[in-house]
Amino acid sequence: MNMMAPIAIVEPVLTRTEVAGLVSLAARTVPPIWPLESAIAVNPLAGFEELPFEQAVSAAAQRFSARENLPVDQWRTLLRAGSIDQKVLRDVAIQELGGLNSAFELIGPDVSRLDLLMARLLDLPVGAGVTRPAMLSPDADFIAKWCAAFFDQGRAASPMPNRGLGFYRSVLAIAGHDSEFRRLTGDVGQKLLLSIPRDPLEAIAEGFAALGICHGEEEDLLAGYVARLPGWAGHIRWRNEHADPEYAAGAPAGMADLLALWMLLDRSGAISTGEARTAPSDVSAQLAERFNLTSDILENAHEAGRRHFNEIANLDEGKLGRMFMLAAETSYRNAVVPQLRAAADAPGSDEVAEAQLVFCIDVRSESFRRALEAEGRYETFGYAGFFGLPIALHKVGKSRRTRLLPVLLSPQHDVDEGPAVGREREAEMVEQNAERTQHTANLFDIAKQGSATAFTTAEVTGPLAGLLMAANTIAPKFVERAVSRLRPPREDAFAPSLEKHADHGVHPAFTFEEKVGYATALFKLTGMKTPTARLVALVGHGGSAVNNPYAAALDCGACGGHAGGSNARILTAILNDLDVRAELAKRGMNIPDTTRFIAAEHNTTTDEVFIFDQATIPESHRPDLSALMTSLARAGSANRERRSVLLGRSASDVLTGAVHWGEVRPEWGLARNAAFIVGPRSLTRSIDLEGRAFLHSYDWQSDTDGSALTTILTAPMVVAQWINCQYLFSTIDNDRYGSGNKITQNVVGGIGVLQGNGGDLKVGLPMQSLFGDDGTAFHVPQRLLTVVLAPFDLVESVVASNDILERLFGNGWVSLVVIDPETGKALRWRRNCELSESAATHQSL
Amino acid sequence: MNNTRYGELSLHRLKKIEIVMNAEDHGLVEDLLKAAGIGGWTIIRDVAGMGHSGFHQGKTIFNDQSGLVMFVGVADEKAIIDVARGLARLFEKRPGVTFLSDVEVLRSDYFAATQTAQ
Repeated sequence: MNMMAPIAIVEPVLTRTEVAGLVSLAARTVPPIWPLESAIAVNPLAGFEELPFEQAVSAAAQRFSARENLPVDQWRTLLRAGSIDQKVLRDVAIQELGGLNSAFELIGPDVSRLDLLMARLLDLPVGAGVTRPAMLSPDADFIAKWCAAFFDQGRAASPMPNRGLGFYRSVLAIAGHDSEFRRLTGDVGQKLLLSIPRDPLEAIAEGFAALGICHGEEEDLLAGYVARLPGWAGHIRWRNEHADPEYAAGAPAGMADLLALWMLLDRSGAISTGEARTAPSDVSAQLAERFNLTSDILENAHEAGRRHFNEIANLDEGKLGRMFMLAAETSYRNAVVPQLRAAADAPGSDEVAEAQLVFCIDVRSESFRRALEAEGRYETFGYAGFFGLPIALHKVGKSRRTRLLPVLLSPQHDVDEGPAVGREREAEMVEQNAERTQHTANLFDIAKQGSATAFTTAEVTGPLAGLLMAANTIAPKFVERAVSRLRPPREDAFAPSLEKHADHGVHPAFTFEEKVGYATALFKLTGMKTPTARLVALVGHGGSAVNNPYAAALDCGACGGHAGGSNARILTAILNDLDVRAELAKRGMNIPDTTRFIAAEHNTTTDEVFIFDQATIPESHRPDLSALMTSLARAGSANRERRSVLLGRSASDVLTGAVHWGEVRPEWGLARNAAFIVGPRSLTRSIDLEGRAFLHSYDWQSDTDGSALTTILTAPMVVAQWINCQYLFSTIDNDRYGSGNKITQNVVGGIGVLQGNGGDLKVGLPMQSLFGDDGTAFHVPQRLLTVVLAPFDLVESVVASNDILERLFGNGWVSLVVIDPETGKALRWRRNCELSESAATHQSL
Repeated sequence: MNNTRYGELSLHRLKKIEIVMNAEDHGLVEDLLKAAGIGGWTIIRDVAGMGHSGFHQGKTIFNDQSGLVMFVGVADEKAIIDVARGLARLFEKRPGVTFLSDVEVLRSDYFAATQTAQ
C-alpha cells in the first residue's frame, strides 16, 4: 500500500528567465570563495556594499546569524593595549548621545547619560551575545554532505556518480537511496523526488507556486537559502564566475542547482529555523547599582530620563562594539594624518639612488622598505604586486594555468614557461623529480585506498613516515636544507617565456605595443621618473608555510593568491628590451643604457629576498648587485627582528616556523592593516607606519587628467578594501566570517576547509591569523583609511565619475582623507554626500 | 518569422535587445540570456555615458568589474521577450536600461534560440 501523501499539482507562475534573474540576485548574498590553492581575500559582506556600513553589518548579522561586532571584552583589551585613545572613545560616546548638551543631561544626582554609557563601555558586564549550536542543522548538513561529494577535486577514492548530470540532478538520482533524506523528508520527499522538474530553474519556479510565495518575496527566500551555507554557495560562485571552464567540466553546477535542492527540502517540510539566538543584554540592575540609582530615584526621574536610562541599559554588544570601532578608527586617523600632513611638502631626495626597488603595495612591504632605506641611498616605490600584467602562466608540469593577476581582471596573456637561459639541465632535473614525485604520490594513494593494500601500506610506510615526522619536528631546518640539496630549486630553473603564447605557439605572449604599454604604466602609475638608477629591482612577494591550507593567503593578493616573482620577471624582461626602451624614449621616458632591471621576490615569512636570473646580469652591474644583496640581507634581518617581537618569539624561530610542519602562525600576514596611502614616498618615508599601511606610489603632478588616480582607487584600493574587510569580519565573528581554529580544521576536496568532519566550507581566515595564543585579538577590526595626496578638485572628479568609489566612500566602507599638496590642508570625504555638491562634500578634520 | 527579399538578398526579421548595466552585474545578464536559450551575444565594455546619477566613467585599466557594459543580443521575439521579463525583475534591484527593437539579419540560423526547458 502506498502511504505517500498526495502532492498537489502546481502550475509555476514565473518563467525560467525570471527565476534565473532572482537566483542571480540571491547569489549575491555571498561573495565568491576562491579555493585554497589560490586563496585571496574577499569581503564576506560584499553583497551588502550597496548599503551604508552599519546597516549592512546589521542586515548581514541577521542573514548569517552572525555577530555585529567584536565582543566588548575584546575591545576593552585593545583599549588597555593602546589601540584606542580613551578620550576619543569618550568623544564617540558624546556624539552617540547627540552632542555635549545631551550627553551631560542628568539622569540622577550627579549622574549624566555619558557616565552611564562610559560605564557600559568600560566596566559593566555585557550580555552573552550570539549563541548558536555547534553543529549544522540536519537540513543544511544533508546539502553540505552532497556538496562535499560533488565538488571533490579528485581526492575521493570513490567519486560521486552521475556528476555529468549536474549537481541538482545527480543528488536527485541518489537521494532516494539516502536514509538521511528519508528521515528528513519522509514520504513527501520520496514522492517529490519522482515528480519535481529535473531542470533546477523550473523546480524553483514550481516551488514558489507550491509554497505560495508572493511576488516580491521570492528573492528573500532564495537569499535565505544561500546564506544557510555561505561557504558552498561561495564556492559555486567562484566555480561559475572565475574558474577556467575545464575546472567544472564534467560536473556542472550553478547556484540554481543548490537552491533547487533547498526548495526540495522546503517543500518536504524539512527546513529547520532559528539557528542562532541573541541573548538580551539588559543590564539595568547593574547600571542602577553602579550609580546608586535606586528605584525611587528612577521612578521620580522625568520621563525622558527614564527613557534615556533604559536606552543605555539596553544597548546591545553590537552597538557598543561599533562605538569602540569608531574610536579605534578615529584614534588611528588622529595619529597618522597629522604626520602625513606635516610631511606633505617634504621634498623628494635629489641624491642619486644606489638602486631603486618597486615593491608590492602589501602592508608587509612597508616595514621592509623602511628597513632597506636605512641601509643606504635606496629609493623605493609601491605598485600593485602583479606589476600591471594581466597574465596566466602555464607552468611546466601543471595541467591548469595559474592566474597571476587580481580577480578584478581576466587574463589577457597566456604565458608559457620554459627552462631559464643556461639552466636547461637543472630544469630537466626538476621536471624529472616532479614527475617521479607525482608518480610515487599516485601509487601511494592507490595503495592507501585499496581495500586489500591499505593495511600493508600502513605497515610498510608507517615507520618511514614516523621517522620523517620526527625529523621534521626536531630539526625542520636541517631536513629542509637536505631536501634542497637533493632537489635544485624550481624558481630559477624555469622562466616565463615572453615570446611564446602558451596556446598559440606561433604567436608571442605580448605584442610590441602591449610591452610598451605595460612598461609605460609602471612610470605613469607610480610617478617614477627617468633617468633611473643603475639597478632597478621589481620585487614580488610570497610567503612560506608547510602543511598549511592557508599558505596561499600569505602570498600576493594582486597575483591571485600566488607569489609575484613571475610577474616581476616578465616586466623586468620587457623593461630590459632595447626596442621597448627606444619607444619609451620617444614618449619622454629615457631609461639610461646603464640601467639594468632585475626581478626579485620578498619572502614575507623569512624576510629573505631572492634575486632571479642572476646569471643574466652583466659583469658591469655585479658590484651594484652585490651591494644591494648585502643591504637586502641586513634589512631582512632587521625586519625579521621587528616582526619576531610581534609574534612573541625569536627571529631564529621565525625562520624555523617557515619550514615547520606544525607551525600554525608562520607570520601575521596582513593583520592590523589599517590604511591605504596614495602619494610619493616622501609623504611616508619619515613615518613608522608599523607595517599597517598599503603604500601606492603616486605623483599628482604627472596625472593631470586623474587617470592614474582612477586606476589606483578603482583597483588596488578595492583589493585593499577586500583584504581589510576580510580581516575585519573574520575577527568580529571568526566562526561565521572566518574559519575557526586551525587545529580542528580538515581540508575537503582540495578546495577548502571544514571544521571537524563535515558541514559548510569555511569562508574566511583562521583564528590563528587574527588572535594571539591567549585569545586576545591581534588584528584591530577597523575600516580602511585611504589617504590621497592630490588637489581636492582632482580627487573629487575621480570619485564622482566612478560609482564604485562613491559607494565605498559614501556608504562608509572606506574612509577617505585628501591632503592638498600645496597647503597641507586635509579634508575628509563626508558620508552620504551628493555627487553634485562640491565644497559641501568635504568636512574639515 | 517574416522575411524580406531584396532581389537575391533575403533578410530575416528578428528582435534585438540592448542592455546597459554595471559591469559587475554582467553575470546576471549572462545567466538570463542563457536561461532564455540565447546562445550568443555581444558585450561592449567600458561604456560611458550620462545617467540619472551623473556621468559614468568608461575605461578603467585594472578593473573589469567597474564602469558599464552593454549587451547586444538578437533572437526570435519569444526568446527576447523572455529575457525582457527576467530583466524586469532584475531592474527592481539593480540599475540598468534596456532597449528592444526590430532588426533584420542575413543568417537567421546564427541567432536561433536553443530549447532549454527539460
